[in-house]
Amino acid sequence: MLQEIGFVDVRVGPPADTFGEASGEKKARLFEVYGYPFLARKPG
Amino acid sequence: MGAELPVDPAALREEVKSKYREVACNPHGEFHFHTGRRAARRLGYEPAMVDRMPDAAVESFAGVANPFSLRALEAGEKVVDAGSGAGFDCFIAAQQVGPSGKVVGVDMLEEMLHKSRATARAMELPNVEFREGILEEMPVGDGWADVVISNGVINLCVDKKQAFREIWRVLRPGGRLQFADIANGKPVPASAVANIDLWTA
Repeated sequence: MLQEIGFVDVRVGPPADTFGEASGEKKARLFEVYGYPFLARKPG
Repeated sequence: MGAELPVDPAALREEVKSKYREVACNPHGEFHFHTGRRAARRLGYEPAMVDRMPDAAVESFAGVANPFSLRALEAGEKVVDAGSGAGFDCFIAAQQVGPSGKVVGVDMLEEMLHKSRATARAMELPNVEFREGILEEMPVGDGWADVVISNGVINLCVDKKQAFREIWRVLRPGGRLQFADIANGKPVPASAVANIDLWTA
């Protein structure tokens, strides 16, 4: 979606276990939900 | 609502407000996600930056990853935080851009805005400002920002493409979007996507 809008140099960082040891962990594991950092640039 | 959207955007906003009002007013309550200093530690924020911040700046933090991990901000940059909550990432950003930079946090929740503005005053950060608004229509001029940051908020927007278009609008040419958000490795059933209660569960 980022590239569709026009962003370039899109990078995705390593996953963070956002919900580990929280009460939402079970549901997060079910759908393999993790947090990620993203970086993108608007050309120009 | 648009035919292609799985839930009504206004109804989802009310659901999100209800959940995060609690995070603002009762940050030590029970949530399905980590909050505060524990969350910041888990997500790899630089301890020295977090440790010097007062509790009010950190306790309602409910981010999902670290938007500064792929790129630190530079001195003097103008930054917009899309969905700034109680201001934690804005206060991190303020430390990185320094007094010559400027940070604008945008949030739709009155309780979060009240808290973040009070904290900015207490921390004596005149270059950090908080404005009321939604991601899909931010109160920021075209091309104003060198950088847009966001943390765990875009996933709560029904129309993500519009949210990204709006970020594109406020960024200057050559500007950067650095955000953190969740993604799932396994598909979520359409019935769950259409259930508004599950968006914030």
